[in-house]
Amino acid sequence: MAFVNWLKRHLVVIAGLCTLAYLILPNVVVTVFSFNNPKGRFNYEWQEFSTAAWKDPCGVSGLCESLSLSLQIALWAMLGATLLGTMIAFALVRYRFRARGAVNSLIFLPMAMPEVVMAASLLTLFLNMGAQLGFWTILIAHIMFCLSFVVVAVKARVMSMDPRLEQAAQDLYAGPFQTFVRVTLPIAAPGIAAGALLAFALSFDDFIITNFNAGSTVTFPMFVWGSAQRGTPVQINVIGTAMFVVAVLLVLVSMAIGNRRRRQKA
Amino acid sequence: MKTTKDTTTAGNGGGDVRLTGISKTYGAFTAVHPLDLTVPEGSFFALLGASGCGKTTTLRMIAGLEEPTSGTVRLGDQDVTALPPYKRPVNTVFQSYALFPHLDIFENVAFGLRRRGIKSVRKQVEEMLDLVQLGEQARKKPHQLSGGQQQRVAVARALINHPRVLLLDEPLGALDLKLRRQMQLELKRIQTEVGITFVHVTHDQEEAMTMADTVAVMNAGRVEQLGSPTDLYENPRTTFVANFLGTSNLIEAEVDSKSGDEIVLKAGGGKLVLPGARTSAPTATGGKVLVGVRPEKISLTHADDAGEIPEGRNRITGRIVDSSFIGVSTQFVVDSPACSDFEVYVQNIDRDTRLVPGTEVVLHWNPAHTFGLDAAQSPLAGTVGSAGVETVEEEVAR
Repeated sequence: MAFVNWLKRHLVVIAGLCTLAYLILPNVVVTVFSFNNPKGRFNYEWQEFSTAAWKDPCGVSGLCESLSLSLQIALWAMLGATLLGTMIAFALVRYRFRARGAVNSLIFLPMAMPEVVMAASLLTLFLNMGAQLGFWTILIAHIMFCLSFVVVAVKARVMSMDPRLEQAAQDLYAGPFQTFVRVTLPIAAPGIAAGALLAFALSFDDFIITNFNAGSTVTFPMFVWGSAQRGTPVQINVIGTAMFVVAVLLVLVSMAIGNRRRRQKA
Repeated sequence: MKTTKDTTTAGNGGGDVRLTGISKTYGAFTAVHPLDLTVPEGSFFALLGASGCGKTTTLRMIAGLEEPTSGTVRLGDQDVTALPPYKRPVNTVFQSYALFPHLDIFENVAFGLRRRGIKSVRKQVEEMLDLVQLGEQARKKPHQLSGGQQQRVAVARALINHPRVLLLDEPLGALDLKLRRQMQLELKRIQTEVGITFVHVTHDQEEAMTMADTVAVMNAGRVEQLGSPTDLYENPRTTFVANFLGTSNLIEAEVDSKSGDEIVLKAGGGKLVLPGARTSAPTATGGKVLVGVRPEKISLTHADDAGEIPEGRNRITGRIVDSSFIGVSTQFVVDSPACSDFEVYVQNIDRDTRLVPGTEVVLHWNPAHTFGLDAAQSPLAGTVGSAGVETVEEEVAR
């Protein structure tokens, strides 16, 4: 009886912990196996503890090149999609123009369309145009599908913004540029940042569209896929773990800064 | 044309605001009909009207946030019609304040100074925050302040620029009644202290009358009447003004005869006298006129004591339909042949306990308190519930 009562009282916490475990377990496996010393080419069975892969993360040929390419593409795709997406979001919220309704729904098309279909049709398009497949075709494709997500994130923010704030800025001697930089942009910033992060993450781990349009260029997800056919080097787990740790650290740091700011205010 | 803002009240003919033939249309809808208006320098001017009457549009055209369809806006002798808002020596206190949520109170107030390239703002901002009693709150964000404090920040943020004209767009609309009263006095005090021209937009007739030197009553894109609060209240020239500012009893009457300055009218079987100087209607014999009298000018006497009423007063007989005790006064509704719901406010000095619903009474008042209006208008214009007029509660609820 006591146990049932205890369970009732802590059910929410237990459910939360279970969900968290469910989410984190794959990452734990990746991390644990980054310290494995596998026999043979596949890193699927635990053998013995080793830090060999951590000491030589670029030991597998092509891995670090593909990683650096993926990071570059993700960065540029993020910048391009954020810039264009922010402008589209402002246009859609602020202005009434012909075909506004059409643009508003078309912008969601890349989100709704199956990736394979989009990948194949993009390839057809690039081939017909005689474009050289590689870095640029990947970048163009990534900016295209990241765009919708940025637009959604920024639009929500801009829509909730009081237009009187900008009028107040103008009334207080800020010209159009100053108004944008001093008032509009800072207020829209959380939406823009969310869109940018999303774009980076989406671009970094995209496989299907990239695989179709990369030509002979190899990005990190393509490298992982490729090596999985022949055997998985431990270094992949190392890179995976490192990325996870960096992401968690970034979140922790931003939370700490936010907390401190809030405490200073109070 | 000047491109930099002149922030002193000296030069350029000071802070007169002159609107000439100004109008605004949106497609087929005319928000403001061509309008001439002069706001003298240093005055507290109120634009009063129900929502949608064009008062805010007029204000926004002075601020430069709305481009007039026709006409000119002049500040002193400078034509600012073509100037964008950020080049006009005018500042606005917005409805719901529009404080910058990402900046603290200090930076909100300093915003205008910084945009004009003034480097050392600390002293000015602190002085201004002290003026509105918010020195302690300088480092807080707007959402951490109460409504009244936010309102004071909005005033400080505008006033620190020493505009030639301060525009206030329903600045007290979001405050509760008690705070609103307090801020009315506060705004009036600040205006007297800084001597800047204030143009205040409001739908609250009491607010307009308490604060403003001059009130312009707007209705459906036009100024119905302009004058001092007492003048508007005592001598309304349209039924809209008569009903929108306070309450009026309006009776339809027929002109019977004229003798000198006095017009004698027939209404509901009785005779009423109206001073010729207090009528804005044509008064040809046999023509119709709306006779108006304010509820508090009327005395109520029990029919048994009718003989005690002095000669020379306008009188109407009727029966009390309803009475409500308000504290300072008792408000009666009287049914009479001339008008079915005559409102009478009687001060509770010597309460006549016989005056209960059903009692036959005589209403009487000094003829000098009677005003005459053109009978061609709807006697209901401007009353609560008629088109374009909302109650304060409805306004606040939105």
